[in-house]
Amino acid sequence: MNRKLVSLIKTDLNITFGLSSLAYNIRKGKRIVPMAIIALAVLSLFPSYIFVVRALGSFYDAFRQIGQQSFFLHVGFMSAQLIVLVFGFMYVMSKYYFSNDLPHLVPLPIKPSHIIGSKFVSLMVSEYLTSLPIILPFIIIYGTRGNEGITYWLISILAVITLPLLPLVISSILIMIFMKYTNIKGKKDLIRTISAVVFIALIIFVQLKLNQWTTQSIIDSEDFMFNLARDANLLLTSAGIMYPPAMWGALALSKGFSVQGVFNLFLFIGSGLVGFALMMILAEKIFFDGLIGNIEVSASKGRGKKLDSSSVLKTGNPIITMAKKEILMIIKTPVYLMNSVGGVVILPILLVISMVTGGESYEPMKEMILQSREILILGSIGAIGSFGVLNALGATTFSREGTNMWIQRTLPIDPRVQVIGRTLPSVALQVVGGVLLIGGIFFIVPLKIFEIIIILVLGITASVPLTMIGMTIDIIRPMLEWTNPQQAMKQNLNVLISMAIGTLFMVGAAFLGYLLLPDYGLFVVLGLFVIIIVLSTVFIYKLLVNLVKTKFMDME
Amino acid sequence: MLKIEGLSKSYNKGEIKAVDNISLEVKKGEIFGFLGPNGAGKTTTIKMIVGLLKPDEGEVVLDGINVWDEPMKAKERISYVPDNPEIYDRLSGVEYLNFIGDMYGIRTEVRIKKIDYYSEIFKINDSLGDIISSYSHGMKQKLVLTAALMTDPDLFILDEPMVGLDPKSSFNLKEIMREMCDEGKSVFFSTHVMEVAEKLCDRIAIINNGKIIAMGSMEELRRSAKEKESLENIFLELTDNE
Ligand SMILES: Nc1ncnc2c1ncn2[C@@H]1O[C@H](COP(=O)(O)OP(=O)(O)OP(=O)(O)O)[C@@H](O)[C@H]1O
Ligand SMILES: [Mg+2]
Repeated sequence: MNRKLVSLIKTDLNITFGLSSLAYNIRKGKRIVPMAIIALAVLSLFPSYIFVVRALGSFYDAFRQIGQQSFFLHVGFMSAQLIVLVFGFMYVMSKYYFSNDLPHLVPLPIKPSHIIGSKFVSLMVSEYLTSLPIILPFIIIYGTRGNEGITYWLISILAVITLPLLPLVISSILIMIFMKYTNIKGKKDLIRTISAVVFIALIIFVQLKLNQWTTQSIIDSEDFMFNLARDANLLLTSAGIMYPPAMWGALALSKGFSVQGVFNLFLFIGSGLVGFALMMILAEKIFFDGLIGNIEVSASKGRGKKLDSSSVLKTGNPIITMAKKEILMIIKTPVYLMNSVGGVVILPILLVISMVTGGESYEPMKEMILQSREILILGSIGAIGSFGVLNALGATTFSREGTNMWIQRTLPIDPRVQVIGRTLPSVALQVVGGVLLIGGIFFIVPLKIFEIIIILVLGITASVPLTMIGMTIDIIRPMLEWTNPQQAMKQNLNVLISMAIGTLFMVGAAFLGYLLLPDYGLFVVLGLFVIIIVLSTVFIYKLLVNLVKTKFMDME
Repeated sequence: MLKIEGLSKSYNKGEIKAVDNISLEVKKGEIFGFLGPNGAGKTTTIKMIVGLLKPDEGEVVLDGINVWDEPMKAKERISYVPDNPEIYDRLSGVEYLNFIGDMYGIRTEVRIKKIDYYSEIFKINDSLGDIISSYSHGMKQKLVLTAALMTDPDLFILDEPMVGLDPKSSFNLKEIMREMCDEGKSVFFSTHVMEVAEKLCDRIAIINNGKIIAMGSMEELRRSAKEKESLENIFLELTDNE
């Protein structure tokens, strides 16, 4: 590695994780509150994490009973790498193509592969934050319950370190290719957004088909049970056809220091390194093709033609206009679009995937859902309601104004217009998310018309106070000083805070429901929810209108 | 029309006193020029008038309406053009104008008439359908001006409006300002350009280090200064206090 690259990496790590400013803040005792909030948020996730890890233990026991522990490791590798891959797409996209420093880096005499290389390193570090909490429990449970020896632990360290490599390489390569071929003059943002959705849908579809096909073929074969007893890695190898690296990882660990084990470890690490080399070559060839012109926009059709003002100038209701402006800005800013729609679409998609591909292991869950329709209905309402915070639109609505905030503050806009107009886009997104979720549920169990109506109406109205919780936080501490829209959405602590408070709100409601449901039945609980929703909406709305009024004056 | 009394503002918890107890009045039908060296407190003062920065002390009153007590009423009658035209660059010019128009509740016919008129003067009607991020700095400024003028304000406030405009456009803007005053509206703007202030303004205030050090018509300023030829000399004499 040459000196340029090392310094690039250092700078990028510093920027990405804000090391300098963190050190400065700690020394100066600044920003203690936001840091404490992050710490709290992380801590609050801890109990549920423990719960999941415990559940994993019994998952392991189940596999052990049929002598297929290696499959347990495979599930671990598979989930960790899959998550890295999914996050990878988003990270890579924003880091390689939309980050702040690119306009400064590109004109410098730096090779494209070095830019990519340095950014890749800090992505790896970010990805450990997601991969470690997933893979570690699997490795530790397998190691301790199986009384594995020292080689197991040593190999596992290697495997854990290299785990994010391959998925991140895959997402980097795919995104680079994607960006090159969608870098079309004109409606670039629209083309990219649509093709991204198609792309994801395609991947999921292929995944589903493959999975169905493999599970079917394993279980259909007559001597499945016999084979299962004979071959301790049967499940693993059959599932491994789909994505071999996870299998290699699992075999490397479970076979330990044997020819097969070492060979698989070699494959596991080697595939990542080869992929990395490939990515660097590709970066040299196509990275700039996708990047250049990112900043240039389409000054298009109108040039030279006089505007026909009477056909385009139209009067509208201020509330609707405010909502329209918000929606336009969201649609025209890819980071906003992906994050908000992503937060809402992911749950239904995960639901469908896990139901369809999960096969046998999800039967108990399916059964439980089928048994209690009440819980299904209440749960779906909660899910759609939670989209109100998950879409991050409420918690960033004022932050997204950024340097344009002066417009909002100098126009004669009634605070009520601000509040309602900014709530509507979020609600509109819940309608989409709600319909998708209902679609997802249909994969498990068909719903009746009145159930669908109850779920949609209550879910969407429940998302109103939750969106407003986000807006309340955002107006109290708006983040207006950003230069890249990413910062307003992804690096905005308000999103996290609103999720924490929103969760509290929903857990409270769910607990009430849980207490009342057995004795009073579904409709009493639904009635109670309606009351909670209406009261909290009125309360938060009033609070919000006042806050907008005063904060719009007090800001600097 | 606009009355400012005892207005003060400091930054960084009182460390920097940007505006220090200033009072002035802009009359109906008057163009008022606000002059001062860099960092004198012009932008700070303007922000306190338009509702962007809350004064530490003092009052801003527009025809009996306290701007900070009844912001909605005041804002309906004020238009503001900042020194840096940061606007929604993902919207098209038309979308931006429609947004502003709806917030002020401007009727469609009025909207069409005004926008046709001003965008023709500023020569931006060809680009109104384009996305704002494709505009040059000056084009953005002209769009902000068009939007501000569309609302037909009683008080038009501009921060360094001539910076970044080509000679033709800045001439047109000056014409527009004159026309507005003839209709009984008022204009308040800050500038560095002495000639503009000298020729255009009915009255002038010179601010330095947050304090108003001279105020009045050109005639009155000449009388009070030693160097009498031009506003530039008066300005240099007054602000050279080192
Ligand atoms: N956000 C801020 N934080 C701290 N100090 C500020 C801030 N904005 C302005 N100041 C200070 O207030 C004083 C007045 O600034 P202001 O922007 O009002 O000057 P100005 O007259 O508009 O100058 P220019 O001609 O350069 O635009 C300056 O000393 C400046 O440093
Ligand atoms: Mg200024």
